[in-house]
Amino acid sequence: MSADVRILAAEPGCHLFGDNGCGFEAPTIGMFFPEPWYTGIPRSAGIDLYLVLLLVAVGAVLLLWSWFSKKLSLVPGRRQSVGEMLVLFIRDNITRPTMGAKGDSFIPFMTGIFTLILAMNFTGLIPGMIPVNSNLAFTAMFALVIYVMTIVIGVRNQGGWGYFRNQIFPPGMPKPIYVLVTPIEILSVFLIRPVTHALRLFATMFAGSLLLAVFAYGGWYMLNLTAEPLLAGVSVLYSGAALLGYVAFFVFEIVIMLIQAFVFTLLASLYINQSLEAAH
Amino acid sequence: MLVELAAEYNILRIDWVKFTFGAIALAVIYFFVVRKAVPRVMKVLDERHDAIEGGIERAKRAEAEAEEIRQQYREKLEESHREYAQELEKAKEQRAVIIAEAREEAQTEANRIIEAAKAQIEADRQQAVVQLRGEIGALSTELASRIVGETLSDGAAQNRVVDRFLEELEQDESAKQAEVR
Repeated sequence: MSADVRILAAEPGCHLFGDNGCGFEAPTIGMFFPEPWYTGIPRSAGIDLYLVLLLVAVGAVLLLWSWFSKKLSLVPGRRQSVGEMLVLFIRDNITRPTMGAKGDSFIPFMTGIFTLILAMNFTGLIPGMIPVNSNLAFTAMFALVIYVMTIVIGVRNQGGWGYFRNQIFPPGMPKPIYVLVTPIEILSVFLIRPVTHALRLFATMFAGSLLLAVFAYGGWYMLNLTAEPLLAGVSVLYSGAALLGYVAFFVFEIVIMLIQAFVFTLLASLYINQSLEAAH
Repeated sequence: MLVELAAEYNILRIDWVKFTFGAIALAVIYFFVVRKAVPRVMKVLDERHDAIEGGIERAKRAEAEAEEIRQQYREKLEESHREYAQELEKAKEQRAVIIAEAREEAQTEANRIIEAAKAQIEADRQQAVVQLRGEIGALSTELASRIVGETLSDGAAQNRVVDRFLEELEQDESAKQAEVR
């Protein structure tokens, strides 16, 4: 099913009920470190599959949006309606609930970031491929962009000191509480928040594709048609169960990819809202 | 084994090349999707929203206009009703006046006829009286001749005759008068 599975298939018989006595080799995190094609860049893994998949994702998003936004009319066709639905989905489920009407200017940004992250997740659905966001570098980049945006917007809207004061000293609390709250807020807002923002997306994509790989590897390992007829039949049953699991988790993974793209965008919207609002 | 792998593959290591390419990807998406495509879609959405709002506005205006015209019509209708009632009232009054006039005229006419009849009756009576006088004269002459014809010996008889004659005459007179009346 995946690239590694194909490699395994080429290797001579490491299967259930095989006679060469080798056991099941689970997929390792090595699958997230594809062999680079060019390594000449210092302090880097170089050019590898991730960058190609990133290119595919970006290309898909560009194509999708140029398709959605061409020949627009007041009476929309099916194609235009889908594009509008996506924009309205972002508006009604992300920017409006978090920022209200004043966040409407962020709809394009949130729509763009949502579709890009979604496309970067969906590369994992291509057989044998991995989600681009299963590498921390990309999610960290997104989180950092949002982090910088929140600070810039916050300082611009509430003034330098005003923004940091609102973040560090949440208003409306009895003074002594700040001894406790302020360190927590500093940690949470300026350290934990961006890190979890990046890690959440990365970890779910990482774990999800690893899980899919386990089912794929297991299914392939348990399939042994060269064994005795009875054992071969059993192996087909085992393998079929693994395939069912794979299909189920594949569907589950699609949902997770959607949810994680949504959650990332929703959190970005929430963080930006805290910078938009003056003292609250 | 996992520890070895972890040493070999550090999943938490952020590769700067990937980071940079990710940033470039986001920039590309920013310029083509965030700045161009999505705003275009949103613009059409807004335009449609405006168009629909405008349509609702127009419909509201037309409705208000219709309501105004209906109000005017209703007022006119009420006015004409009122005028009709007034006319009716006036006609009734006129009718009453006409009836009263007619009655008065009739009364006058009746009075006139009665007067005329009375005059006629008076005239007739006068005529009767005159005629009666004539007749009384004749009768008196006849009586006188009768009295003269009788013997003058019986003075008492003479008296009785005269009395009876007068009595008859009176009776005749009153009977005639009653007849005239």
